[in-house]
Amino acid sequence: MRLSRSTAWLLALPWVVTFGAFWLFPVVYSLIVGFTDYQLLDPQWRWIGWDNYRHLLTDPDFRNALENTFIFVIGTIPFTTVISLGMALLLNRKFPGRGFFRSGFFVPSITSLVVIALIFTSLYQRGGYVAMLAEMVGLTVPEYGFLQDRGTALYAIMAMDVWMSVGYYMLVFLSGLKAIPDELYEAAEISGAGRVRQFFSITLPLLKPTMLFVLVINSIKSFQVFIEIFVMTKGKFDTMTAVYFVYDRGLTTGFAFGYASAAAYILLVIIAVFSVAQFLMLRRRTPLW
Amino acid sequence: MVRQIRPLATLCRYAVLIVILTIMIFPLLWMFRVSLLGPGGVGFERLISGAFTLANYLSLFRSSGMGRYLFNSSLVAVVVVAGNILFCFMVAYALARYRSLSNRLLFISVILVLMIPVHIVIIPMYVLMVRAGLYDTYFALILPWLVNPIGIFLVKQYIESIPPSMEEAARIDGAGEFRILFQIVMPLCKPALAVLAIQVFFTNWNSFLFPFILTSSDELRTLPVGLALLQGHQAIDWQHLMAGSSIAVLPVLALFAILQRQVVSGITAGAVKQ
Repeated sequence: MRLSRSTAWLLALPWVVTFGAFWLFPVVYSLIVGFTDYQLLDPQWRWIGWDNYRHLLTDPDFRNALENTFIFVIGTIPFTTVISLGMALLLNRKFPGRGFFRSGFFVPSITSLVVIALIFTSLYQRGGYVAMLAEMVGLTVPEYGFLQDRGTALYAIMAMDVWMSVGYYMLVFLSGLKAIPDELYEAAEISGAGRVRQFFSITLPLLKPTMLFVLVINSIKSFQVFIEIFVMTKGKFDTMTAVYFVYDRGLTTGFAFGYASAAAYILLVIIAVFSVAQFLMLRRRTPLW
Repeated sequence: MVRQIRPLATLCRYAVLIVILTIMIFPLLWMFRVSLLGPGGVGFERLISGAFTLANYLSLFRSSGMGRYLFNSSLVAVVVVAGNILFCFMVAYALARYRSLSNRLLFISVILVLMIPVHIVIIPMYVLMVRAGLYDTYFALILPWLVNPIGIFLVKQYIESIPPSMEEAARIDGAGEFRILFQIVMPLCKPALAVLAIQVFFTNWNSFLFPFILTSSDELRTLPVGLALLQGHQAIDWQHLMAGSSIAVLPVLALFAILQRQVVSGITAGAVKQ
């Protein structure tokens, strides 16, 4: 005797409602509103076709926001991936204190992003510790600290993002590494392959699925960078990113729902294309490395 | 195969690990230290030699809304965690035990939500909450998050590993569906539900974006929102800001220290969506 159809649907009801109201509706609503000039202050909306999209593509602020977003994504992902993989390799074999270090590295990943952004706002100030370290290695610190300078603000936030996310991706890589059978390394050792050779011929190829997961998840998250920007610079000093642009146009001055929704959809398409491209690249049968 | 022990390599490994650990932990240690410092600068000498005081915490609770933020964060977290335990379990059970085309469609909706970037939801969610009259109420903070796709996924996989024979036997004996669900299956799912609870608690406790855009009054701010907006006040110094930050971080750190294994599996299952 099995679960009856009506009971099954009754049980699934909370998800059906949540999915419909808070996911399906918003995605459809954004798409539609993106083709109107709907604003909170001017409820008399009308269809304007592709106008929002046309304006966005020539809006210097939006182009700048997209550019910053790309810098953020492309500038952080290689560092986050390589550093977290390195950390995972350091912690892969059993040794005394391994669990302690693993937990320590992971702590930033469970800390509230708002709190991290507040801490680094202070560390990046003139006289803050990061600024002091930078001076010690001979870098010049901008007059009002790293966050209040057009040349450094975005990069400072990117560095913080790398620091904060490596612990999580390290854990993901560790679980990927655990799945690689020891016999492979033993066989390689017997046939005289060194550590470096083992890494490039065994570890990396077998980590491909993990690598794909890390790259896709990390780029989806990085494309949506917002909280750090809000807390640290409010989009000033050339740190406006795409989601901050959506927030700024849609939910602050003017409440231009139509315009902001169109911007959100452009970012959605970019994220989708980027994810599919990564997926196809790593799915290829020929090894990438 | 026996690996020879190389003392120099071991030493190097620990040196590197300690350097990384320092980099990862220092900002948080700095936060705690500054939060315990009296008024004045936060320079190096003061961090070392400055006296310890709880004054910042006390004045934060007395003069700002910190007590209220803490209450709001706790209330929302408790309700959302309870909701997820109940609803994710119900939905997961239906998905695991009732297979049909419509059910597979439902499952696709779960996967779909995992892939939708949240930024697309910001404006519609705002409009929806305003229209429904729920903007700036506790409902806006709670309703959208009572059931989540990662949680459903997690519990569904767990239920699938339990043989259905016991439920079928109970059904033949005439037990009602809800009795089977809550008295037979749910207790068996405790490990998965614990991981789910932790995943939901961490995500919810730290969440900023939606609590921020869906509320406007000070009385409804959660800790992250309150902290982010406190920073705008000219009057606040780093000591107070870090005391507030420590209040937001301590429960999470304590939970991590006690339940490391569950936290790790919960977070690695859950960080897909923030």
